[in-house]
Amino acid sequence: MSNIKLSHMSHWKTIPYKKIDNFRNFYYEDKRNGAYYSDWDRILRYHFATGYEGIEVAPWDMAEMMALFGTPQNFSSFAKERGVSVSGMFHGADNSHIAEKFDEVLESGKRAVNLLEAFGGKHLNTCPCNNYCEVGPLSREQTRNAAKVITEIGRYAVDHGVQIGLHNEFFCAINKENHREFIELTDPRYVFYCLDTAQIAIIGEDMVKFYDDYHERINTFHLKDTASPKLPDEIRYSKDIEIVDDGTRWFWEPGEGVLDFKGLWELMKKYQFKGWVTVETDGTPDLLASMALTSYYVKHELAAIYS
Amino acid sequence: MKHGISFEMVDLHHQEPNRNVRESKYFWDELYTLVSASGFQYIEIPYEPKWDFGGRSGIPLTNRSITVKFQNAKNYLAQLNQAGIKGMVGIHLDPSIFLGENLAMFFSATNHYGTEAIDFASKIGADFLTLTATPPIGALHTVCPKDTSWDDFVKAFLQKTAGLINGLADYAAQKGVKLCLKNEYWTLLRGKEVVPFIKSLQTKVFLDIDTANLKITGVDPADLVAENADLIGCVHFTDTSFVDDAEYYKQPMPEFPDGRATQVFKDIGQGEVDFPKVLAALKKIKYKGTIVFNCRQTRDICRALLRTRYYIDNKLTASDKEWR
Repeated sequence: MSNIKLSHMSHWKTIPYKKIDNFRNFYYEDKRNGAYYSDWDRILRYHFATGYEGIEVAPWDMAEMMALFGTPQNFSSFAKERGVSVSGMFHGADNSHIAEKFDEVLESGKRAVNLLEAFGGKHLNTCPCNNYCEVGPLSREQTRNAAKVITEIGRYAVDHGVQIGLHNEFFCAINKENHREFIELTDPRYVFYCLDTAQIAIIGEDMVKFYDDYHERINTFHLKDTASPKLPDEIRYSKDIEIVDDGTRWFWEPGEGVLDFKGLWELMKKYQFKGWVTVETDGTPDLLASMALTSYYVKHELAAIYS
Repeated sequence: MKHGISFEMVDLHHQEPNRNVRESKYFWDELYTLVSASGFQYIEIPYEPKWDFGGRSGIPLTNRSITVKFQNAKNYLAQLNQAGIKGMVGIHLDPSIFLGENLAMFFSATNHYGTEAIDFASKIGADFLTLTATPPIGALHTVCPKDTSWDDFVKAFLQKTAGLINGLADYAAQKGVKLCLKNEYWTLLRGKEVVPFIKSLQTKVFLDIDTANLKITGVDPADLVAENADLIGCVHFTDTSFVDDAEYYKQPMPEFPDGRATQVFKDIGQGEVDFPKVLAALKKIKYKGTIVFNCRQTRDICRALLRTRYYIDNKLTASDKEWR
């Protein structure tokens, strides 16, 4: 049995059908590939076929997913029939740096934990605070406020069989100057860390060294490459920088950028990492191609080191 | 009679290869020139605050995004003009994304973004804001409280909707913008139901004639035009060959009929709407507003633009000197 289980972060946008039974007729309506990206049945089969045992669901898809499946449990059963489990869910803990918003942020976090528990998932990968351009730089008190409420969400999560994993986006207010302090301010019994390999490198960290330093806190990964490590502050902190006007991509499939994944895998072997590694392919023009490329890289380039 | 094209042809919500490019500004900058090259001088946008929440300001479909990228509406209009587009004639706001169990929040958010969209329409010189009358019937069923009958729920929902629309219409009138109601085939006011509702309002609200949506409910759009000349605020030419023979309109996601996957809305000229008949009816009532062509759900934006242009020039208005 493999120590590493591959999952895929759902950036599919809205999938409008649960299962298309009239696939051939639907295809013949315009004889293009839209039919191939329109139902969960096929999307989940692509996951399994390309080597993914898991899917990380996205909160922004919930309204449509619930319209199709009714309950998280129904979705999970449907996915399980196709060989895929829900590994986790993303959660944005907006306003967590504001002391007066403590109750609101905690309640929102608890709802996310409950939802993920209903899906049967483990990892609530949580981005604290808002974008840097909106609220940064944070004062030490604001950073402490965020750590306090995130710890409380983490305590609730652990009680419900869920683990929250801190997830820093390169454009968020928890950033280069305060993210290590932030990690230390949270309680390691309740708050874990999801190492997003590209985001942490863009912030300015050496991704491999970061794992070495924090391997005891890191319980899961968002795996992606970048060609833009150590991005200057003035770019990271600029407005709405996640999507660039000229189409510049921050994220690439592992092996297509410059990060040292083989070095990371050596450390994962050293520390005997066991768990979900979630491939995230945001920014790709072709999710299915990126899934296949990444799966190939992990299973053929990295698996010789550790699997 | 002016005519334009709706940016609802740019599907941002569903997956297909290369969808991601639609979130970046460069995609839209080029789109304006393609729209112009295909002979359209006016555009309509769907007002989509959803993208504001994720900081997707490359998508020019809200006041925020246009302010972030162009500083103000005037500069945005200048960019459109430079590409050969004379202006934005209308805006469509579908508040269904705000629907949840907290109905007070739904009405509050609709009012907030409706007001914002009216302000934006006024700043950019758009003639109208067309508001989707209600969320889908199937989605409303999911938020109808268990201890309330459906009939009572609908009655109360429509009363609150009327109050909301009265307020927005007042504000729109102050800003020189027409408030219209769009009645998609899945709303509580589908088909002709919207007409008595509009007439019952305390403020002047206009009717959006959307051809495909009417046809799917069994209403002949030409008849509705003839019967309601003084109510019409805007016209959308949309095409379809969909026949709702199993009450798909009652489903939570009616645009994607569960059990029968299909492209409900076709590119102009690819479906079965009798556009010449509707155009004749509009001429008969001396309609002076805009016809917005909408290829919602198209699988190919450039093909949709050219198919629409071909249809207009060669099928709809080939012998129409007045149009040219």
